[in-house]
Parts: sequence; structure tokens; C-alpha cells
Amino acid sequence: MKKRIIAAIAVGVVAAAALTGCSSGGGSGSKTITIAYESYGGKQMQNYMSRIAKQFDKKYPGYTAKLVPIQAAENDYYTKLALMNKSGATAPDVLYEDTFLIKSDAAAGYLAPLDNNVKKWSDWSQFPANSRQAGEGADGKLYGIPMGTDTRALWYNKDVLKKAGISVPWQPKTWNDILDAAKKIKAAEPGVIPMNVYSGKGTGEGSTMQGFEMLLYGTQNQLTTSSGKWVAGSTGFKDSLQFIHNLYQGGLGPTAQQALDPNWGNQTPALLSQNKLGISLDGSWVSSSWGTAGVAPWSNWNSVMGQAKMPTQDGAAPGATSMSGGWTLAMGSKSKNPTAAWNFISLALNKDNSLYYATSNQNIPVRTDVASDPTYVKSNPTNAFFAGLVKITNFRPATSSYPAVSNNIQVAMESVMTGQQTPAAAQKVFDQALPQAVGGTKNVVTK
Amino acid sequence: MTSLTRTAVATSTTGRGGATPSRPHRARRALGRTIPLIPAIVMVAIFLLGPVIEAFYGSFTNMALTGAAAQNTTFVGFQNYVQLFQSPDFLQSVWLTILFVVGSAIIGQNVLGLALAMLMRAGNKVLTGVVGTLVITAWVVPEVVGAFCAYAFFNGGGTLNAVLSIVGLKGPDWLYVLPMVSVILANVWRGTAFSMMVYSAAITEVPEEITESAELDGASGWKRLIYITIPMIRRSISTNLMLTTLQTLSVFGLIYIMTAGGPGTASSTLPVLAYQEAFKFSQLGLGTAIAVVMLIIGAVFSVIYIRALKPEVD
Amino acid sequence: MKLSSPSGRGLKIVSNTVLVIIGLCFLLPLLWLLVASFDGTANLTLKLPAPFTIDNFTSVLTPSLAFGPLWNSVVISFGCAIITIVIAVLAAYPLSRYRMRINKPFMYGILFGTCLPITAMMVPVYNLFVSLNLLDSIWGTVLFMAATSLPMAIWMMKNFMDSVPITLEEAAWTDGSSMMSTLTRIVVPLMRPGLAVVFIFVFVQAWGNFFIPFVLLLSPNNMPASVSIYQFFGQYGAVAYGKLAAFSLIYSVPVLALYVVTSRFLGGGSALAGAVKG
Repeated sequence: MKKRIIAAIAVGVVAAAALTGCSSGGGSGSKTITIAYESYGGKQMQNYMSRIAKQFDKKYPGYTAKLVPIQAAENDYYTKLALMNKSGATAPDVLYEDTFLIKSDAAAGYLAPLDNNVKKWSDWSQFPANSRQAGEGADGKLYGIPMGTDTRALWYNKDVLKKAGISVPWQPKTWNDILDAAKKIKAAEPGVIPMNVYSGKGTGEGSTMQGFEMLLYGTQNQLTTSSGKWVAGSTGFKDSLQFIHNLYQGGLGPTAQQALDPNWGNQTPALLSQNKLGISLDGSWVSSSWGTAGVAPWSNWNSVMGQAKMPTQDGAAPGATSMSGGWTLAMGSKSKNPTAAWNFISLALNKDNSLYYATSNQNIPVRTDVASDPTYVKSNPTNAFFAGLVKITNFRPATSSYPAVSNNIQVAMESVMTGQQTPAAAQKVFDQALPQAVGGTKNVVTK
Repeated sequence: MTSLTRTAVATSTTGRGGATPSRPHRARRALGRTIPLIPAIVMVAIFLLGPVIEAFYGSFTNMALTGAAAQNTTFVGFQNYVQLFQSPDFLQSVWLTILFVVGSAIIGQNVLGLALAMLMRAGNKVLTGVVGTLVITAWVVPEVVGAFCAYAFFNGGGTLNAVLSIVGLKGPDWLYVLPMVSVILANVWRGTAFSMMVYSAAITEVPEEITESAELDGASGWKRLIYITIPMIRRSISTNLMLTTLQTLSVFGLIYIMTAGGPGTASSTLPVLAYQEAFKFSQLGLGTAIAVVMLIIGAVFSVIYIRALKPEVD
Repeated sequence: MKLSSPSGRGLKIVSNTVLVIIGLCFLLPLLWLLVASFDGTANLTLKLPAPFTIDNFTSVLTPSLAFGPLWNSVVISFGCAIITIVIAVLAAYPLSRYRMRINKPFMYGILFGTCLPITAMMVPVYNLFVSLNLLDSIWGTVLFMAATSLPMAIWMMKNFMDSVPITLEEAAWTDGSSMMSTLTRIVVPLMRPGLAVVFIFVFVQAWGNFFIPFVLLLSPNNMPASVSIYQFFGQYGAVAYGKLAAFSLIYSVPVLALYVVTSRFLGGGSALAGAVKG
């Protein structure tokens, strides 16, 4: 009896799912396009996509946009997307694609090039050149239209700095300026962590991107050369590790225990709000932690927290640096209706919808007309500052070997911060592991 | 003495019934006997046979989820395995995995589970209900949440140190100083429920008159445990050891959230390593090879249990 | 732990004390969960709720956040557990009662083969489901989960069945009962505690399983709570701990209720003892 009831109800559930248009399979008809995206906590992404789908159905009668939200932690989203992409029956027409994966997904044949589409798209002129580069594959073709990005800089607690005798607003010109400020905080305020730079394997990619690369891309070196070869033995690499060494071994940072905790990233916003942390090298999104729905609600954050650009090592032009990730909309290579898919993408990223996305998703807009729009600038007091960093920002070399290199960087940082190795020794270990991570010595140049 | 002979008698009658009551119509009966197996065989054949074989094959390829290898998967022979066995990280992971399984499954969950099952027979009914529910709760909360609970308990400013400070002790950051001990204890906390239930059910099936008569003979509690209860539930022990081992081998979320395999690689067991290779670095073939190694470790453990715990009936 | 007192009184006191200590050890880590669920600003440390609030519960208890996914979990887990139990009892009987040549290879084969983590098998499984046109079907997912839990269930079931004395069946055999009726009328009622354990085990495995439904289902309307729990994880690793804790408590209640019910109605062990004394 129980079984029969359950079966009956289950049939009902399946039928209901079918009626709402969520039955199995990808593009069941050429007039239906599927859009796969990651549905985060909160409803922002869901609201944005539903909004576009509604506009699309209205603007292109006869066509239907079917949304496939995927709810998961980040790596699981990538996995599900790859599984869907592998099979022709389920490959989505439009994908919400991390800039980080564009190159490898293009190499895997999952994405369709969009160069011809943007040629005829007048809005394309609103996308600055360095942001376009984030959507490019290794073959130089364009595979994703940037939706929004993020930038990184120094967050500082004005109360902590003032107490240490540092005048605010504070804008360091060199790495030494930063370390000097940290030393002053350490001297004046015992019990306060002078400065946080994410480091080691615990905080994962956050260590590489918010920590190491924010340093390295302010030196004369980068991770890769302009021709895409990975760099070993550079001075910039060693100097960046030296900075980590000075910070952690000099007692200017958190303890290694704290920083290696995988949940450390969710604790720094609270420490800043409690005046227990002075400076933190972190992302443009941090203020969302202080919102009412965040991990450390703090209504007063905007009057206490200041932002400073991350200076280059010795102040060399352009004086400051930043790193960016971000997301794109891309088209599936197996799409049966590329025209409709492109219509959806261009609709989703027109000025109006881009503005909606930027204000509701705490994202830095890429389009210049959106970045300067008063609605956007007013929606968060830090927006103008972080959007201003887009001009000087850098993108990671997002090839398929990047995650392994990133892991090796975290290992090097960790051995330096714990004092197990000198920066030079840690660099040597990194250099030795590099060829295996990037597919052979042919992809490596030694400086 | 009577009790021991009775046990022996009981064991032989409850054994795996090599002898059947009568044996007419051999061939037809042999066929009839396999019929109940058919649904199970069909299910496994449809859903698992192909994927399992394909997965084993996958460990000999450069299969990937993304990147050029996703498009052109090629057979690479034993390359994944060679690469693994040459890597010091991998050998350390094997050792940590064995440590994790021995510490949390074989010793922790089984001993504590058996102890709980015995105590609950003797304990106050209300108390038994409350403790049983707490133990089960730790088992049924979602893995991510169980891991956050364990993290909130063991980290430097966590519940454990708060409790210790009441008695005037200052505990370290357990996750940093003793990462393996922390994750082992966390897994005991999370997984003991299963062993507790298996042993409770098994003990229930030990006929009471046997233990009663032993008690009348004056056998002490320990003696009854070692000479009567344990031999009677020997097969449950072997099954439970095997199941908890196989489950503990694949514990991932708990460790990943508590320590992410760190500090360094100090708690990087095989599932953590496999996750890194398969999902972070997108090398599915290599990740699958690690999974196969995990299976082999599970098989070795299982053979040991079966050999050690039921030699005479087979 | 001294169990030697024949009177049982000392034994009881010792047992109760040890039980209290173990209970406390299991309670302490759960405290965070309980406290965080009532905390308006929950984080990963145990602290008094500030402010104390039931907002976490009220904001989570909505059709789309909790009831829909929980209902899907119930359907999936019950479906999986019932199918598994029926098939496993059937399979365990010949394996337990007759010595057949295929016993051992059969058992070991499926047990180890299917212990391969689903993460290692996901690509072939996904392709299989695409070709069977079962993707995004709750019942396809239920059948697959039942298939993966079968080996362990059969193994446990056979073990419990082994300890049911064969003497009782011998009587039935001589009365001319068929195999099926012996199984359902005599063996199954005698191994109720074992059935309860296997049922709860399969149910809890299905209840907590994230990866299989995540891979095999597409539409959010079909997703069980083990997947929808990720709605509390935001971009850039931010976690809404308070809501997560509240949701987890709600999520755990059905399984706890199931445990209490089964342990009360099926756990009574006197059935077997009575039968043997006969």
C-alpha cells in the first residue's frame, strides 16, 4: 500500500516536472535553447536568468529559453557542466562559464567561437581590450563574452591604522610601505593581526590569486611569458616569496595555524569588523560579508573600512596592480540553434541587463558604460574604487595546467610561511616540479 | 563449561547451512535456488557492470573532464600507476589512509560501537534512548554539516578547547598540531552509529539463555564477552569490519572541510588526493587509478577479516 | 568497566555512567549545530546566539527551500530502501542457505566492483543514463542508487540470515512449504532487527547521497535536500552558517524519526529468543 502511494506520488512529481518543461534531455527542439548556470546561495543568479529568459521569450516569439540551474559547490558545478557538455543530448546552448575554464573547455571542444557574432554587435565596443582577453581560447579565438569580473586590493581598518599613527586615507607606494605600516601596527597594538595575505594550501586558489599573484604581477615578472611559456627561476617569484616570508616569519601576519585553516577566508571579515585585523589583501566582494545576510553583519563597515590599491613592488608604472577572475556567457559547440543562442547572450549582456547583473550580483561590470552608470556607482560605496582597477588588472594564465601550477605555488608559499624553507629553496622546489605540471620542459623558460 | 559446549552447538546449527534438509531433484532444485538471485543480478548487470568495467579501463587512459585530453582520450597503459608509485605524496597518502581506516573504523567505530551495544543492554532505558539518538544524529546530519560541527569542535578557538579551559587546560589548535588524530576522532564520532546498530541487532539475536546460563556458572562479564558473545557474533564483526572499512576508505568531505588535507599534506588521504587529481587538475584517469588502489586496499583488509574471523565454518 | 556483578545492580550503575560520558562526547560537537541554528550571526565558533532568533528556521521553511527537496529525498530514499530490501532478502536467502559454487565469486565481485566510488564511474554512468533516456528521472535515480546499495545490503542481509537457526525451516520444509513461503513466513519475521538495520543503513545512505542525484538529475524540481543544501553556499566561499544549521536540523529529523520508529517496532529482540525456546 505504502509503495503504491509513493509510486503514485512519484508519478505525479515526474509529470509535474514534465509539465513545467523540465523533462530530461537538452535542446529537445530547435526552437528551445537551454541555458546552464550555477545557482548560488541567494536568488540573485536565479532572478537574473529568469529575467533574461522572460525577455527572450517575448522578443523572439516561438523560441523558448529553458533554464538549467545547477546548485553546487564550485568544482562540482564544473564537473556537472563537463558531463553535460560531453553528451550531445544534454549539452547546453548557452553556458555560464568561468573565465578560468575558457581555455581548457575550448580545447575540449565544448565551446563555439563567437568572433563572427561580435563583429556585427555594436555593443562590443563597450568591452575594454584587456577584459576581452579573458574570453579568449588558446587559439586566439573568442569563446566567451565577459559578464562581470572582480578585482583585488588592500582593505584596511581605519581605526586600527589611526591608532598605530598611520594617517588615513592610506595608499602605500611600494611593498616596503605596506610592511612598514604592518610593523607600526604590531608595535602599537599587540593582539591585533597587522596584515593578512592568504597563503598556503588551506585557502587554496585564494592563496594563489589574492596572495601570491597580487605580489608577483607587481614585479617585473609574471607566471607566463607573452608567448604562453611558464617562467621558472624569476626574481619576481623569489621576491614574492620573500614578502610572504617577511610577513609570516616577521610576526606581521596571522599565525601559520590561522592562515592554513581551510575556513580562514570566512573569518577575516569578522576580524576586520572587530578591530582585530589591520590590513587584508582581498577581493572586491568582501563587503558582502558585512551585509545583513553575510557571515559578519556590520552596518558601520563603510565608515571604518578603507581601500587602497595594491602597489607594485617598488612603485614602478603603472604604480599598482590587481588580479581578476570573473564569468562569461559562452555558446555550446553542440548547439542546434546558434543564432538563438547568440540572441540570448547578446540580450543578457546588453547595457540594461548588464547593469542589473552588476548591481544585484556584487560584480564589477566589464562594460565601460555600465561601470560609469550612476545607478551602479551608487549601489555600493566601493564600486567606483574596484571598477577603477579594471584598467590595470591582470588575468591568470587559465590553461588546463594552471590548477596544478597553482597548487605548486601554494606548496611553496606554505613552506616559506612556516619557515621550513627559505624563499630561494622553495623556488627551487617549484622550478623542479614545474615541467611535470605543465606538460614538459618545452613549455618552460628559465629566467 | 556447559555454556561453552552450548555455544559450540549453537554455532554449528546456525552456521551457513552447508547441509540442507533433504536432497531430491538435484538439477531442478539447483536451478530453483538461483532464481531469487536474478533480480539482484539484473540490477547490477544493467546499472553497474558496464560502468565499473569502463571505469577500470579509464584508469589506463588520460581521460579528462576538460582540456584537449577530454576530446582525444588515449590509452596510456600503466602510466597513471607508474606516476602514482613514483610520487612520494602518493605513498604518504596510502599510509595516512591506512592509519585513518585502522584508527577510526577498525579500532574506533567497532570498539565503541560494540561497547555501546553492550552498555545499552544493561543501561537505563531512557538514557539509552537519549544516547542512541545522539549517536545516530551525528551519523544522519549531512556530511558537510557534520564536518562543520567537527571543525567547530576541534579548531583552536573551538568547543573542545573551551571545555578544556574550564578545567584549566589550554589546548592547541588540534587541526594544525594533530590533524590526523582530529579527523580520526571526528570520523569515529560521525560513523559509530552504524556499528552500534549492527552490534545491537547481532547481540539481540544471541539467545539469552546462553548468556544467562554462563552467568549462573559464574563467568565474569569479561569472560562472557570474550568466550560467548564475541564468538556468537563473530560473523557480524567480520561483516561490520568490512563495511566500515570500505566506507571509511572513501571518506572525503569530512577531511576536506576540516583540514583540506593539510597542513601541508599531513592529512591528505587517498580520497583527498584523488579529488585533487580528478577535479582540481581535471585528470580523471589518474583520479580513477587512485580509486582502484583504494579498492585494492579495501580488498586486502577484507580478506584479512574473513580469514581471521570465520575459519572453521567455510 | 566491570561487568562482573551477578546482581546486575553495580553493572547498571557502571553502564549508565559510561553511557552518560559517551553521550556527552557525542553531544558536544552537535552543540554548535543547535546553537548556530538560532543565531542571527552564526559563524564557525560556538557562541551564544546574538541575536537569538528563529529567523533561520522561518526563512528556510519554505516550499522551494525545504519542503520540495525534502519530499524528493523521502521519495528517493524510501524507494531506494524498499527496492533494495526486497531484492537483497531474495538474494541473501540462497546465498545463506545453500552452498553454491557461485557464492563467493558472486559476493566478492559485486562488493568490490561497486565499492568503486561513484566519482570514478560518473562519466560512464552519465552516458548510460543518456542512452537509456533516464536522465532527470527520479525513478531512474532510485534504481541506480538501489543497484549501488545492493551489494552491501545483500552482504549484511546474508549475515543476519546466517544467524537465524535453520532448525525452524527444517520443520517447514518437511511440511512441504515452498522456498518463498518459508522465506517470508519464517525467516523474514525472525530477522526483523537485521532488516531494520539494513533498511536504515540504505535509507541513510540514500538520504545523504549528494553525488548520484546531482549527476543524474537536472531540473531543480527533482533535486533532493542533499543537493539543495548547497543553496547556503554563496559565491567566493561564503557560507550562511545559521541557515545551513537550521536546514540541517530539519533535514535530520525524518531520519531520526525513522530510527526511533524502527528501533521501537522492529528492534524487539524477544521474537527470536522466543522462537528458539519454542
